[in-house]
Amino acid sequence: MRFAYMHTKILLDEGEMPKRWYNILADLSTPMDPPLHPATKKPVGPDDLSAIFPMELIRQEMSPDRFIDIPAEVREVLSLWRPSPLYRAKRLEQHLKTPAKIYYKWEGVSPPGSHKPNTSVPQAYYNMKAGVERIATETGAGQWGSALAFATMLYDMECTIYMVRSSYAQKPYRKSMMHVWGAECIPSPSTKTKSGQAVLEKDPETPGSLGIAISEAVEDAATHQNTNYALGSVLNHVCLHQTVIGQECREQLAKVDDYPDVVIGCVGGGSNFAGISFPFAGDKMTGKHKDVDLIAVEPASCPTLTKGLFTYDFGDVAGLTPLLKMFTLGHDFIPPSIHAGGLRYHGDSPIVSKLVNDKVMRAVAYHQSEVFEAAQTFARTEGIIVAPETSHAVKAAIDQALECRKTGNAKTILFNCSGHGNFDMSAYDAFYAKQLVDYEYPDEMIKQSLARIPKI
Amino acid sequence: MRRIGFVVNPIAGMGGNVGLKGTDGTGAEAIRRGAVPHASERASAALKQVTAAGIMFLTCSGKMGEDALRSAGIPSFSVVCHPPASTTADDTKRACRKFLDEQVDLILFCGGDGTARDVYDVVGSTIPVLGIPAGVKMYSAVFAIDPAAAGAVIEKAGELPLRDAEVLDVNEDAYRAGILSTRLYGIARVPVLEDRMQVSKRVIEERDEERAKKEIARFMAEVMDPDRLYILGAGTTTEAIAHRLGISKTLLGVDALKGTNIVAPDADEKTLLSLLTKEDSAGIIVSPIGAQGFVFGRGSQQISADVIRQVGIRNVIVVSTPAKCLETPVLHIDTGDPALDAEFKDSIQVITGYRIAQRKKIQR
Repeated sequence: MRFAYMHTKILLDEGEMPKRWYNILADLSTPMDPPLHPATKKPVGPDDLSAIFPMELIRQEMSPDRFIDIPAEVREVLSLWRPSPLYRAKRLEQHLKTPAKIYYKWEGVSPPGSHKPNTSVPQAYYNMKAGVERIATETGAGQWGSALAFATMLYDMECTIYMVRSSYAQKPYRKSMMHVWGAECIPSPSTKTKSGQAVLEKDPETPGSLGIAISEAVEDAATHQNTNYALGSVLNHVCLHQTVIGQECREQLAKVDDYPDVVIGCVGGGSNFAGISFPFAGDKMTGKHKDVDLIAVEPASCPTLTKGLFTYDFGDVAGLTPLLKMFTLGHDFIPPSIHAGGLRYHGDSPIVSKLVNDKVMRAVAYHQSEVFEAAQTFARTEGIIVAPETSHAVKAAIDQALECRKTGNAKTILFNCSGHGNFDMSAYDAFYAKQLVDYEYPDEMIKQSLARIPKI
Repeated sequence: MRRIGFVVNPIAGMGGNVGLKGTDGTGAEAIRRGAVPHASERASAALKQVTAAGIMFLTCSGKMGEDALRSAGIPSFSVVCHPPASTTADDTKRACRKFLDEQVDLILFCGGDGTARDVYDVVGSTIPVLGIPAGVKMYSAVFAIDPAAAGAVIEKAGELPLRDAEVLDVNEDAYRAGILSTRLYGIARVPVLEDRMQVSKRVIEERDEERAKKEIARFMAEVMDPDRLYILGAGTTTEAIAHRLGISKTLLGVDALKGTNIVAPDADEKTLLSLLTKEDSAGIIVSPIGAQGFVFGRGSQQISADVIRQVGIRNVIVVSTPAKCLETPVLHIDTGDPALDAEFKDSIQVITGYRIAQRKKIQR
């Protein structure tokens, strides 16, 4: 130990903030299956995407380079909250009576309160550079929507956010944040787009889903000359931007001569997990740390990685996006309205999917009430009231630490504490009122019915 | 102005106090044993929660309604029935008929399972009803959980969404002999009280029962094997599944079907067992019944322990609307065979929507 006492926070200077994003594509053992054009089913090229994305982001999406420089202007904005602190969860460890060391990376210090602005800022920046005046996007729980509202405000751009209807009702203050930062927030499905109208026609009472909201935002961007689209997760360039998290963690742990045995993050589209785990996955694949255990945590109600199929599917309900090779529950699946709205996505990041399929990473799934139980333990030991999405990562970290208590193994556990739950208190109220529903995915029954479909 | 028909069964609950386990046909005996009527008091406790103006109660004279309204301090009511001093089930029915003629928005009754049956006999599912619990047994799902909940529903009568509520017929003679024998008597409609704390936050899909039933049916139609025999329990959720398959099933009975054919409508245990001897594999699809959430053992007793063993508990599929799940935090299984009950673990998967399930605890 370089330090005589045990640190609570491990901090980096602003000058130690990563200057480059880490592109894991450079370290994959086999290449990714390319995204396919929704109409031709041929691999998409840069031109196919240029109607809704600026060229620099398209380049990043497909780049083979191991490192990509973060523009100085973007780093200047990120320095508002980065480098974010790494905490040693001493109180949680004592409470669990575990020999394990638990560290958490606290991303709730950003103005919107989550890891999301790590990518909304560069995305808005590159769009601004390309002369785009307006960005359309979707949001589930509102973390991404508020992060993009914040970023577009910085560059004086307009922003329209399609917010999944059930979250719009559950989380009114996220919508208020978007308004403070000057963005327009519309409950999805809406009558503003053809995709939204089609869904409403079929089912006026639908709670909405991320897949539907993506269709609406993509359609909005494709039908307005001055408007581009931005996605808060899933895509390669989004995961790329989030790698500042894992790179900082590695530096911070090095300051206390540590390296994680286990790295944990919750997964909806996969970006916060990608952010914390990709630098360590790179170490694993290049043989530097072969044994690091990388765990993606998802809700039992929407268990894409643990119960889905690894195949080509659309990223949205209407089938407007390219076909992505990923784990999916089917693009027409509308997950139940769990409080972790940000995890209600039928698919997953193609890179995370591939790494799970290649067994570089693994996935676990939890029910809603057990993750809130874990979040309560965390709040009563470390103080932070985490977002419902984040509580999935907390639960997995606690389970790992309890396992260490049984085995006596003093593992180093690192998890991404991706956001605060200050606007999710109604979810905690529901937990205390014993009204949380333990949704799950009836995968056995679905498998039986799929088995009867004739093979082509 | 909302109009609410209000009737109290003054002898409800009296049998319980004096060990009669019910008051059906034993009212005089209960009084002889010294039972004290309390139904009117219970009703008054619920009515005291009502503050909203703009409600007109239509009721019966004296202890069948008027007394409770007066003691709760409710000024706006009109006595439309004048029952005799010694009342019977017929007086409850007569009052309900009068309420229907007067086109009330809701019939509020105070009593137990017997009273619920009397009200249901007249009202059916034509207008919503709500029970203030005052009986000995309340296995039916038409009762408010407490007087405060009843009061809140009364205030919003006519505005609240409705749900199905099973009315159960409990055989009192058997019950007094220590045997709980029930059957599904009918399905009434009751107003659903949205969570008082979280009205705006309740997720949308949990509110609309009809939509939920359709979603469950859409999923089940997709996963049901057309070459397999299925035993469908009673109720409107299983009825929705049959409807989706383009067939009509008996609402209150158990039907056996294969593909889009009803093999045996309203089948009894013997018929089911004999059908099963001819099948390699079969499935059971049931919905929890009654206020307590019984998966087996209430309402669909044709699906006996033997039938369940024959099919195998792995092939039991439980379906329920989210609204119903919300009201029954735990499910009960009482097949009459404790060893079989124990084979169901601590929790069970309940299909609640299209590719959506919930994990529900089982209480023994």
